Amino acid sequence: MSFLNHYIYYIGAFGLIFIGLYIVLVKHNLIKVIIGLSIMETGVNLFLISIGYIKGGTAPIFSTPEIEAARMVDPVPQALVLTAIVIGVAVLALALSLAIRLYQHYGTLNLRKIKEQRW
Amino acid sequence: MVNPVLLIAVPLGLAFAIPLFGFISQKLEKYIPPVAMLFNLIVSLSLIPKVLEQPIVVSIGGFPPPFCINLVAGPVGVLFSAIIALVGFLVSIYALDYIKEGATEKYHMLYLLLLTGATGVVLTGDIFNLFVFFEILCISSYALVAYLGNRAGIESAVKYLIQGAIGSSLVLIGVALLYGLFGTLNMADIARNIDSVSPISVFVPLVLLITGLGIEGAIFPLNAWLPDAHSSAPSSISAILSGIAIEVGIYAVARVIFTVFGASSIFLFLVLLGLLTLLVGEMSAFSQKNIKRLLAYSSIGQIGLIVFALGIATSYGVVGGLFQIISHSLSKALLFLAVGYMIYRTGSMDISTLDGMGKRMPFTSLAFTIGAFSLVGLPPFVGFPSKFLIVRAALAKEEVLFTVLIALVLLGTVIEGAYFFRVIQTLYFKGKRVSPNKREEAPIAALIPIGILMILIIVIGVYPRLVTDILNSAASELLNRIGYIKGVLG
Amino acid sequence: MRRIISILLLGIIALGITLSLAKIPFGTPKTKVGRYYIDKGVEETGATNIVTSVVVNYRAFDTLGEVTVLFIAAIGLGAVLTTGRRKKPERKIEPASLVLYTGCRFLFPLILLFGAYIFVHGHLTPGGGFQGGAIVASAFVLTYLGCRERRISERGSKLAESLGGLIFVIVGLVGLAVGGYFLMNFLPKGIPNFLFSAGIIPILYIVIGVKVGSELAGIIDNLIEESE
Repeated sequence: MSFLNHYIYYIGAFGLIFIGLYIVLVKHNLIKVIIGLSIMETGVNLFLISIGYIKGGTAPIFSTPEIEAARMVDPVPQALVLTAIVIGVAVLALALSLAIRLYQHYGTLNLRKIKEQRW
Repeated sequence: MVNPVLLIAVPLGLAFAIPLFGFISQKLEKYIPPVAMLFNLIVSLSLIPKVLEQPIVVSIGGFPPPFCINLVAGPVGVLFSAIIALVGFLVSIYALDYIKEGATEKYHMLYLLLLTGATGVVLTGDIFNLFVFFEILCISSYALVAYLGNRAGIESAVKYLIQGAIGSSLVLIGVALLYGLFGTLNMADIARNIDSVSPISVFVPLVLLITGLGIEGAIFPLNAWLPDAHSSAPSSISAILSGIAIEVGIYAVARVIFTVFGASSIFLFLVLLGLLTLLVGEMSAFSQKNIKRLLAYSSIGQIGLIVFALGIATSYGVVGGLFQIISHSLSKALLFLAVGYMIYRTGSMDISTLDGMGKRMPFTSLAFTIGAFSLVGLPPFVGFPSKFLIVRAALAKEEVLFTVLIALVLLGTVIEGAYFFRVIQTLYFKGKRVSPNKREEAPIAALIPIGILMILIIVIGVYPRLVTDILNSAASELLNRIGYIKGVLG
Repeated sequence: MRRIISILLLGIIALGITLSLAKIPFGTPKTKVGRYYIDKGVEETGATNIVTSVVVNYRAFDTLGEVTVLFIAAIGLGAVLTTGRRKKPERKIEPASLVLYTGCRFLFPLILLFGAYIFVHGHLTPGGGFQGGAIVASAFVLTYLGCRERRISERGSKLAESLGGLIFVIVGLVGLAVGGYFLMNFLPKGIPNFLFSAGIIPILYIVIGVKVGSELAGIIDNLIEESE
């Protein structure tokens, strides 16, 4: 049980990463692949956040004077996640616009059937 | 002293301002990228004499490293930013006339942002900041590959985006693990503490970072996107992707291996990987009928050679690898620019339709020939001294293994020569149906950058001493981790 | 076959990561840079929200890059969707019902106000430019759904995006000119916990909020345009 207590967030984060990666590797539908990429991003973000966590910690904001600094969680991973989320949104938006165009050209989103460019 | 942060801030600001210039006059927009890159070129060249003495470390925000992001303008960074600015400047002049269709305003913004991202990657001293600039580089190249909006472009962009997005997630996991292990993101600070944890736990972030960055650097077997993306982008973008983007990927891999991890145990693996990449690339190029795919596969081969040279990890080897990067940037940019207008004139990318181009477009064909000769490594072009240095580095190891490997590299060069000569033969000695007075030379805005690249290839090929100073000190920066750490953290 | 190879690959990665993670125990304080920011952040930047002081002051360069990434996505999406966009016959949009229409028009300024509050107070409370910008963009989504014929002006959003990015860079350059460091916090830090404190942080967050809001709204606008 203590194992779960110690690593539950890591397990969750990497569970999401592997689910996403598996979808990207195995599925043929572009929309599903994009969803997979998005799940993977979420897992990475969760992992980043859990690295900075401290047991029983609070948010690193000095809103009232009595908050003690020693209990604050690490602010850096939160800043990094903010950046990572925005980058993820950017990639997602671009991927969706490409999917729209791809569908207009080929009439399908199945990546197995779209093989004009090859070795 | 000029602050190296201007190399990033000025092009970034100008890229943001392009729509504002567009409100004044639509014609003004396309002149912004050349202006920004000319500024970068001048600043980079003026920084070279200073960084030869000692690297310039500037912090951003005014806090001491490792508590803020810092830029490290050492010989390597300034060398790369000068190459980026030079090739970027010449290609942006080419694009003045070449890019006429589509959302041209967006093209120029994305183009300038791509180059800014590349400059940021080579100058930054912070691993997460490197990731951010890497994303700027990648995302703008996804959009630019799809710029023409045709079937091939969209399909290649989708493939490129999927592989690139997986790569960037892997990089981010690697960065997160490094932060968890060391509590810092500054590359010099991580490098200083890397020996304090067991090798097995730093091995995983190393593999994740190499894999993720190697996708952009097109190291075999992570290069499935490259031939599609490079061949279906507009030719000016192919020149940038081949001449700059993959080199920046290789730079990032080299920086991670040499400086951050100091992982001397994987150098031999790197050599073998490079050789494999080289042979796969050259053999695939040999069987191509599409001229742009041929050039794209040849880029893979050249990247293999660069990785091979860097993996030798002696002073000769790294100098040779960096020299090969210069040579490949100039030659491959020249080849793509020359091919761009040939395709424009014939309307097809098939090699067999290029017959008689030697008479129809004599100057452009000459440029193609010079670029091809330089890539193959014939004197007096720039490819000769760089390949010579790599061969000398491998032989100086005085090991049987390296002698065998360099023989295989030379075999790759022979294949390279064979397919380039086939194209040149088509250009000059086939196709009698074109009458000699029917000239269709490329417009002047394309001939100027092509001409400048030709002159540079010959001049550096004849006087390699022009670049040896900066190459030698760049190689010693990569090989001397302790010096880098001391330079940043004092 | 593909599945087996994928699962094997994932297994190898999982094993490797477990080995590495064993050295990073969960939930224990361990980071030196983060500790420094908590101890010195308020004093050095004037912002009581330490995450904000990291995002917009210590690591402001990352944020500049991040804003650029979103900008690239907005224009890249525009470039992909506008080239080769087919002319479609004008389709009549069914007008929204009166309740929906009035409700949207009533909520729109309130949501904008809330978004603005979030990014103006980024240095004091949880939130900031990106969060506020996302809320502002959600107000535009609401009008697209409710008042269907309304569109944001393309010229206006272009102006907001460009000016936003440009002001960010210019603030950085002023810092370089005044203090010798790019993006230096050159304005007076003020008293912590007051709205007018923390130097350049609120300025940058307002700029980011406006820029992110108009970019996200522009992305949605482009996608809706395509689906019609």
